[in-house]
Amino acid sequence: MSTTNTPAAFPATSLEAPRSGRIDPKYLRSKTSSGSFEMAAWVFMRLSGIALVVLIFVHLWVNLMSGGGIAQIDFGFVAGKWANPVWQFWDLVMLWLAMLHGANGMRTIINDYAEKDSTRLWLKTILVLGAAIIVVLGTLVIFTFEPCMLDAAGEQLPRAVCPS
Amino acid sequence: MQVHKYDVVIVGAGGAGMRAAIESGQRAHTAVLTKIYPTRSHTGAAQGGMCAALANVEEDNWEWHTFDTVKGGDYLVDQDAAEVMAKEAIDAVLDLEKMGLPFNRTPEGKIDQRRFGGHTRDHGKAAVRRACYAADRTGHMILQTLYQNCVKHNVEFYNEFYVLDLLTVDEEVTDEDGTTRTEKRTAGVVSYDLASGEIHVFQAKSVVFATGGVGKIFKTTSNAHTLTGDGMALAYRAGLPLEDMEFVQFHPTGLAGLGILLSEAARGEGGILRNADGERFMERYAPTIKDLAPRDIVARSMANEVREGRGCGPKKDYVLLDLTHLEPEHIDAKLPDITEFARTYLGVEPYTEPVPVFPTCHYAMGGVPTTIDSEVLQDNDTRVPGLFAAGEVACVSVHGSNRLGTNSLLDINVFGKRAGIAAAEYAADADFVELPEDPTRGVEAMLSTVRDGDGGERVAAIRAELQETMDANMQVFRSETTIKEALGIIENLRERYKKVQIQDKGKRFNLDLLEAVELGFLLDLAEVMTVAALHREESRGGHFREDFPDRDDENFMLHSMLYKDPEAVTEGTQGIRFETKPVVFTRYEPMERKY
Amino acid sequence: MSTTTEAAEPASTVDLPESTGGGITTFDITLKVRRYIPEFSDEARWDEWTITMQGTDRVLDALHKVKWELDGSLSFRRSCAHGVCGSDAMRINGRNRLACKTLLKDLDTSEPITVEPIKGLPVEKDLIVDMEPFFQSYREIMPFMIANSPAPSAERYQSPEDRERFDDTTKCILCAACTSSCPVFWTDGQYFGPAAIVNAHRFIFDSRDDAGDMRLEVLNDKEGVWRCRTTFNCTDACPRGIEVTKAIQEVKTAILTRAA
Repeated sequence: MSTTNTPAAFPATSLEAPRSGRIDPKYLRSKTSSGSFEMAAWVFMRLSGIALVVLIFVHLWVNLMSGGGIAQIDFGFVAGKWANPVWQFWDLVMLWLAMLHGANGMRTIINDYAEKDSTRLWLKTILVLGAAIIVVLGTLVIFTFEPCMLDAAGEQLPRAVCPS
Repeated sequence: MQVHKYDVVIVGAGGAGMRAAIESGQRAHTAVLTKIYPTRSHTGAAQGGMCAALANVEEDNWEWHTFDTVKGGDYLVDQDAAEVMAKEAIDAVLDLEKMGLPFNRTPEGKIDQRRFGGHTRDHGKAAVRRACYAADRTGHMILQTLYQNCVKHNVEFYNEFYVLDLLTVDEEVTDEDGTTRTEKRTAGVVSYDLASGEIHVFQAKSVVFATGGVGKIFKTTSNAHTLTGDGMALAYRAGLPLEDMEFVQFHPTGLAGLGILLSEAARGEGGILRNADGERFMERYAPTIKDLAPRDIVARSMANEVREGRGCGPKKDYVLLDLTHLEPEHIDAKLPDITEFARTYLGVEPYTEPVPVFPTCHYAMGGVPTTIDSEVLQDNDTRVPGLFAAGEVACVSVHGSNRLGTNSLLDINVFGKRAGIAAAEYAADADFVELPEDPTRGVEAMLSTVRDGDGGERVAAIRAELQETMDANMQVFRSETTIKEALGIIENLRERYKKVQIQDKGKRFNLDLLEAVELGFLLDLAEVMTVAALHREESRGGHFREDFPDRDDENFMLHSMLYKDPEAVTEGTQGIRFETKPVVFTRYEPMERKY
Repeated sequence: MSTTTEAAEPASTVDLPESTGGGITTFDITLKVRRYIPEFSDEARWDEWTITMQGTDRVLDALHKVKWELDGSLSFRRSCAHGVCGSDAMRINGRNRLACKTLLKDLDTSEPITVEPIKGLPVEKDLIVDMEPFFQSYREIMPFMIANSPAPSAERYQSPEDRERFDDTTKCILCAACTSSCPVFWTDGQYFGPAAIVNAHRFIFDSRDDAGDMRLEVLNDKEGVWRCRTTFNCTDACPRGIEVTKAIQEVKTAILTRAA
């Protein structure tokens, strides 16, 4: 009869006994860093998700369906909307929520798929920087938007909205 | 070789082992050695319930419970032990409840109880609701609850440590009358770490054996693959006696052909047995309590129906368990797991079809003899200082020749607790016993014989033959002819076992080696079982001799005690010494056992 | 009185349907097992065997046939062999299941049946994995009843409704099929995992227990319930039919309502 795993087939190396070091350190959790950040993030994702559904669909409807439909969108249309503080606020909220929601989603994906802590740190740094830049720039644009744009010669750009 | 020192070492982490560990762990430095993870133990497969005279749903008391236990065991029960068990049953159930066990509840919130085979009110007048239960997962809940409490009390487990030797030393003892004799005393155990293949010696003041049963000696069994009688065989090899090994319980309702257990709760909740004619045949065999008669009677009745040609199926080799008259919601609420077994393994829908069943080896009534404080005996009345046993491995004897349903879950809790306390208390006063010189010699010799063997005999082949011969000759019907045939084959297999060869020669998780060692234990115990059965020329409880169909109290109202002794010859078998031990009577005189 | 409904006394004799239980069929299968024997090689390999099995056989029977007749070095854990002990969780045809509860005839036997160890835990040999990290998470959620009130002399009362509240999660056998089916656990093994949460659930929703808050605090960890992505792998994998994902959601809700 055949014999597998004969001593001759074994290399002479000695293996460390399983469990001799108790639990594989890979599985040990770092100090419980509870706080309630993860819970807050989880709740935020749900609430911002609901808010974004409303914000985005109203945004899409106003821009694409109402009035002249898709043909109406031009510089003047945007300028007109942002002349109204309600739309300024609407778009600001949409920007912030969408960026935070998206960035947190990405953070989750990084946590789930990156296997090493160092990889995670790098990816998250890039993510946070990217999100922060977009949020800051976007906010600036909403509040410093100049509806009356002139070209280098001082001529009003086509469709710019200038007080006449 | 590594040496560990503990006050108490518990071998086995099923119900009895963990119940002992909870007590002992709080009182002494305790380690639990177990060859499988604690939650894999076969306590978890128990289904129906755990009896205690709580009287939550109807009038009941522990004295009736004692009577049922004694009568169920066909009067071979030590009545003092049965009394202890029935009395302490109530606290055992309450202890578990307080540990968190989720029992089913009555509408007012008390622990619910249901009927079970052989449990009656007022000495046999009618079936009584005595079994406390958690659906049909009572054993699972007990095992989980005990493990949870071991975690709570920080019990130290050595998982996948297989104990292969009991270390004892012979001591000179002087009796009060001045005579001296040698007596065995416990020094510790030798164990084999399955993960690494290393040998560890555990020096201990107290050792508690809670290794469970030996069901794998039979082919058709409800027992786990791991139940190979390790503790019994170790004690036997160390020169300690085994008591009442001829009594094996066959559970009536195993899934036909597979042996997977369908709880007696199925009948407790109203299920009935029918033969091929659709007849409820238990009305003939036990007119009063019919399908709720004790297991030995039901199992024999079933086997008799099949023998007389009233079996069902293409080979007419099983009978049917009929639940179809019960409401599906009732079945779902009370018997969810076992109906799933029928669906999964036989493809039978219990709501609408009867389930094929046949008796399956279930429980060993015999084992290592102990006192009611779980101390192991080395003869009829001398204790082995520092050695304790509880659960199926032990024979107190509360089950006599036939165990009542639910009494094993009770046994492990009552005597597991007693063993844990006794072991810790003994360790508090005792000193460590010096280990024998070269304590691992025996184990190393045994392992190397198996590991280096090249005789070409396969473990699985020998085991299969053993199981088949035991099923054919030592099941519910026995006679001199069949027992002798079994004995002959066993002797032959023991010879072949000497030439056993395994294929895995590695150290890490060598389960091939483990199975070979286990087979050695099975063969030893099979021999003891058949010799004891041959000697008992009467029929009692789980042991039914066709050549001696009646109970013979005059000659056999005695426990059998079998010792390993190379010099002795019993029933033509070299190497076994046969002795007897009287049965303890307190209040019940033997009567004819009718239901 | 008892909740048991009294069934009418069944008939003494009934007419049985014609056939109960059919003949036994046999068929050939190819079993393909992921082998890893660290004493022999650092590399895992696939071994294949073609064997003849019966209609009632399970994957565990096929593994036994190989171990007992063909290659004794094949190593796997098993005990009860009918789905109550939880020893033999493994990946069969890419799904986590118990080998003793998976009937061969329910699988596609025209293709090789693949058997691998469960994922996410260190493999020790063949189908045997190191269960210690799994049990460590279990221990951390304090899986035992903690009651502040002094124990009554008899049992603590609990209504059948309160008992029913946590019934589903009492069924857990700690086989690790759920935890090792969870993609979040596969990544780095830091997540507590479904099994630990299920066992916490069993106590959090037990009316007799007073330490629910402590367990919720443990599971409010960054590796706790918030890492659940509700992929339902755990619910699909559970051999006991526990609604694992639902239990995890209930624990999340409990943490939120506690915080609110």
